[in-house]
Amino acid sequence: MTAGTTALVPGVAPRLATVRKFTRRQRQGRWLDWYAAGFGVLLACIYLGNFLVQPLRRLSSGARGLPVGQGETGLALVIAAAAGLLLLAQSLGPLTLSPADASWLLMSPLDRRGVLRSSLRALTGAAALAGALLGVLALAMAGPYIRAFTPARLGDWLLLAAVAGGALAVAMVDVLLLLQPHQERVRPAARVLLRVIALAAVAFAVAGEHWAGLPRAVARGLAPVSLAATSTVTVAAVVLAAVAGLAAWARLRSFPADVLWADSAHAGRVRLAAAFLNVQLLGWIAEDNYWRRRVLASRPWPKRKPWQARLSAAWLSAAQPSPAFLLAWTDWRRLGRRPGTLLALAASAIAPALVTGALTGTARGVASAAVLLFGGMAAASQGCAALRRDTNDATLRRIIGVAPRPSLVARVVLPALLAAGWLALALGLLASAGVLHARDAGSAPAALLWVTLGVVAGPGLAASAMRLARTAPIDATALGGLDTGAGTMPTWLISRIFSVILGLVGIFPLVAAVIAAFGGLHGPGAGSSGASRGLSHGLSAGTIVVQAVLSAALLSLYLLSASPSGGPRDSTGLPGQE
Amino acid sequence: MVGVSELVVEVDGLRVSYGSVVVLEDVALSAAPGEIVAVMGVNGAGKSTLLSCLAGLRRPSGGTIRVLGGPPRDTAGYWRQVVLVADLPTWYPGLTVREHIELVRMTNAPTDGWCLEPDELIDAFALASRADAVPLTLSSGQRQRLSLACALARPSDLLLLDEPEQSLDAGFRKQLACLLRDSYAPSGGTVVMATHDLEFAQVAGARRVLIEDGCATEEPT
Repeated sequence: MTAGTTALVPGVAPRLATVRKFTRRQRQGRWLDWYAAGFGVLLACIYLGNFLVQPLRRLSSGARGLPVGQGETGLALVIAAAAGLLLLAQSLGPLTLSPADASWLLMSPLDRRGVLRSSLRALTGAAALAGALLGVLALAMAGPYIRAFTPARLGDWLLLAAVAGGALAVAMVDVLLLLQPHQERVRPAARVLLRVIALAAVAFAVAGEHWAGLPRAVARGLAPVSLAATSTVTVAAVVLAAVAGLAAWARLRSFPADVLWADSAHAGRVRLAAAFLNVQLLGWIAEDNYWRRRVLASRPWPKRKPWQARLSAAWLSAAQPSPAFLLAWTDWRRLGRRPGTLLALAASAIAPALVTGALTGTARGVASAAVLLFGGMAAASQGCAALRRDTNDATLRRIIGVAPRPSLVARVVLPALLAAGWLALALGLLASAGVLHARDAGSAPAALLWVTLGVVAGPGLAASAMRLARTAPIDATALGGLDTGAGTMPTWLISRIFSVILGLVGIFPLVAAVIAAFGGLHGPGAGSSGASRGLSHGLSAGTIVVQAVLSAALLSLYLLSASPSGGPRDSTGLPGQE
Repeated sequence: MVGVSELVVEVDGLRVSYGSVVVLEDVALSAAPGEIVAVMGVNGAGKSTLLSCLAGLRRPSGGTIRVLGGPPRDTAGYWRQVVLVADLPTWYPGLTVREHIELVRMTNAPTDGWCLEPDELIDAFALASRADAVPLTLSSGQRQRLSLACALARPSDLLLLDEPEQSLDAGFRKQLACLLRDSYAPSGGTVVMATHDLEFAQVAGARRVLIEDGCATEEPT
């Protein structure tokens, strides 16, 4: 018997502290773990610091001459980010335990509140930190329009903003925690409400870009805000957080185990996937969660039309849907049953325009191009769900029995169309907002040229999305990789980076044209001058031709060179159906 | 006695190891058309490993494997003849139970050999009440029924079943064993299954092969 077990006396209800002490004693702590954690915190601080430098500089300089639209857009995006974070917290619980604690401590005679105390503490800490950060960001956006704001009192304003933001976030998270046991009705309603708030905030930001009256109204509303009023709001937020915190603390004693057990298992999988940047697994989990809540009606598969069946000419046999076509149809059907996904994709095409509106300086061109690249890849990936499933499940592939190469060719159409549609929409919005211009458009409107560029660039991204979908699952335990000098880069990471590079190569003419339209990588391009410089860096018809040729060549090369199947694998490594 | 050239499965001197751990050592196994073979053994004996090798999902360290006259291949032609039902199957997102069965049937067209119609399968596997459900929402036993239904929705020459009795109730196990014995095997289909259920193997009329200490020995019927 180990030293730790001697404290557990048979016949006496165990104390949580004794159990924790025992489990910690069995865990061999190593200096490397502390080093890794410390390094992570240091990196987070550096990134957070860099992130906050510009807003803080903006506040300390008392930047009064800022365009009125930036404050309104920024504030709306802060609200959208807050709603998004709350949505994330809600989808993960928000109260969960580690998988080990959920398995061994939850369904035990230990005091429930004691088991959950550390989780509540961590949740409160995370909420307070995120809320404080959002509070400071909100102040950075609103500060320049508040009459009473002076750089001399910056410390007071920052403190109030951080405390108010943190307290409000804690209160909101505690409310979500109190709603957590009401799985059936209240949780879906809260999810819908948070989505509506996030979408409304984004819509508000977009509307501000077009109607100048809106930002002016926001600026007028912010102008009379005083330090005293902010203090009152902060005190109210702290009181609200305290009340919600006490209610949450009281609820912990009888928090239902079934809810915690299910949410902890779900959060554990998501955390594991997120820790390894496993977007593939995160998408898989989200997809399963979506379909688990749906009731469907079976529909017949595409068949030959009666007039085709009546004609027996041999050449018409080609009109019979081929197995590869039927397999590709699974993704069309899936998407047809998820109209919300298509709507969300269409709505997200506004993202490059929003980024352009919210950012200043030369970062705008690069950021917009990056959003176009990743947005287009995300759109194409929506057409690869079935490919992802059977690529990673040899059993499923064998039951279906379709040759891999024809199925790959048949499946390329949907991702190419989705990427083309999304890029065309995003570029069209940028052009119609006056951000992008055309050089030799002739009589054709500039937006039409940019939309055409988006359409022809779509297939260039399809190859990248399909490669990502066919990438083997992340194996965190696998040895080997590329020695970078500063450590070994695992092969799964190399493979994913390669897919992104493939996407970048596939739409390189588009990326280059967008950056050039903003005045290049090193040009000034700030504020409205970026747009004016765009006139001299407008899109030419030649770029569209180059992009079309590149897209077609890259996609053909990918389809010819992609290995037809994964070959023998030791295990799939992906989760089974829950 | 079936001639060697007519055998569906011929395994000789098979050796499989995971690193330094040898799981299968000098395993010999054969199965003729229309025969049902039950591979039995304790947990970790190597039953699933043997099925993976037959399916071509794992390369052996030594020995020879011939399935339907050649080595296991990762080709569509091979997949049309061989079906593997292993544990933890995955399903396509957004498709119902009925659509999965129909998809399997249609992607394997023309369905000339023995197989059951989707409606027959849904009835035989007691999935009628869940035909419009997404497989994710099925119980583990129903999911296992769906995997088996998909396997029988298309013609095949060799059915590899890894613990098919898993999660199935006693009544349906017997029904499945009878289906394999009375319908699939008489049509010329061969079944090689890894199982722990002696009664299931007996009802199916299977020839039993015991894997022990890495070696396979024929069990008396």
